[in-house]
Amino acid sequence: MSKKDGVEEAIGGLLDAYDDDKEAIQYHVQLKKGDIADFVIMPGDPGRVEFIADHFDKAELVAENREYKTMTGEYKGRPVAVTSTGIGCPSTAIAVEELTNVGARTFVRLGTSGAMQEYTRVGEKVIATGAVRYEGTSVQYMPIEFPAVASHDMTMALKDSAIKNNIAYHLGIVQSKDSFYGQHNPEKMPIAEELKQKWDAWVKGGVLCSEMEAATIFVVGSYRKVRTGAVLLVAGDQAKGESLSKEEYKDNMSESVKMILDSSLDIEVEE
Amino acid sequence: MFNKLEQIKHLPIGFGDIARYVIVPGDPNRVPIISELLDDVEHQGRNREFNAARGSYKGVQVSVVSTGIGCPSTAIAVEELIYIGAEVFIRIGTSGSVDGTAEKGDIFIATAAVRDDGTSKQYIPVEFPALANVEVVDSLIKASEKLSFNSKVGICQSKDSFFGETEPSRMPVSDYLDSKWKAWQGGSVGASEMEAATLFTLSSIYNVAAGAILALETSDEETIKNMTSIVLESIYHMEKERNNE
Repeated sequence: MSKKDGVEEAIGGLLDAYDDDKEAIQYHVQLKKGDIADFVIMPGDPGRVEFIADHFDKAELVAENREYKTMTGEYKGRPVAVTSTGIGCPSTAIAVEELTNVGARTFVRLGTSGAMQEYTRVGEKVIATGAVRYEGTSVQYMPIEFPAVASHDMTMALKDSAIKNNIAYHLGIVQSKDSFYGQHNPEKMPIAEELKQKWDAWVKGGVLCSEMEAATIFVVGSYRKVRTGAVLLVAGDQAKGESLSKEEYKDNMSESVKMILDSSLDIEVEE
Repeated sequence: MFNKLEQIKHLPIGFGDIARYVIVPGDPNRVPIISELLDDVEHQGRNREFNAARGSYKGVQVSVVSTGIGCPSTAIAVEELIYIGAEVFIRIGTSGSVDGTAEKGDIFIATAAVRDDGTSKQYIPVEFPALANVEVVDSLIKASEKLSFNSKVGICQSKDSFFGETEPSRMPVSDYLDSKWKAWQGGSVGASEMEAATLFTLSSIYNVAAGAILALETSDEETIKNMTSIVLESIYHMEKERNNE
């Protein structure tokens, strides 16, 4: 495990990151080629990394720097890893870029979300087919007209895994936003009208739940030609004032991890 | 969710005239070509660019209705078709290559579309993704494999200006068109066409299923028929799955 703390070392690392030499240790995630499996589960919270890796057959901590914590291991003989992205699309884009540089080829986000439809209930899992790009990062990659879409084969693998594991799931579009409190207290924001108008439009468009990272994973994934998918656990419903208890949260997270790990067995290992 | 239309203002057909599965080409003249692969075909009439026929394939009812060129007329056709009962839409169309690697006659299955159109933005803000239905995409991929076609799968671009794509240099906004085109290339967009973004966006809003299969760099009858055979086989299998057979 490597961790840099000196300013000099950090600047050296930054220059490495600008270099085309992909063998270098990546500046933010502190990983080099060979440190990580091709299939990576991506939670937002670094505190959730160990919990996810507990579902692997074996796992070791390989790096921890800022909000990026990485553990890599195996599930039923297949190499799998987990790296946290931190909250939001800016730190997520950095993770996808640097992990791709060192050999990651499939990214599946596992996160929590807020319900947006009457029929998306707390505890249910949403497999995202695509995401609303209401965030600032992906537009620094691709014009806004470009669709944030998950990879078809990954979406189907997740769906098949949900069916095999008897997990109730929804399949559809999610919303990615940058402002957490803009969603929860829109009326307090100077742009309250825009926030409310857009929210109404997403709801009418059938968007299932709201989260903060999927759109950038999908768009950067299209650009870097890597496979992407996302599973969002509905953890709260602001309209109904409901949320999961700690125990329910753990059980449902466990189910979601299992669903993603089993889906990894349908994805060919890429060296 | 769907507001009742006062009347069917544009399509030549009405209630009871439509199958659950509808093939939607752009060109009205392609309706009879596509219909040749159906049994018991009834040509139902034509109004403006909207030409309609209905028949069956291996016992499954299938409609064929043209949309005309572009998203504005496509939105009208999709609205009126949903109103009279259509539930699954598959566009058969022609397209241009974006990355320059396509060979004449290549077939492309769209998973999503770049919303470079004006119509879909009058429905929902542009941040919303224009996605094909995953089950439709999956059945098109499987049908294509079964019939031994080597179809490509990916994102297409839907534009409003045909000549803005083919001759961008003569447009007053040529720099804008060029820079966007480069971005689509960087994002691995595989085909450029003119209707999918609105078809996909409306299908999400109205909770119906949609997909699109496109011929790259060609519009000959043989390729249209190849795509039609893939689409009909996929429809047959979707209907079988629906009935749990």
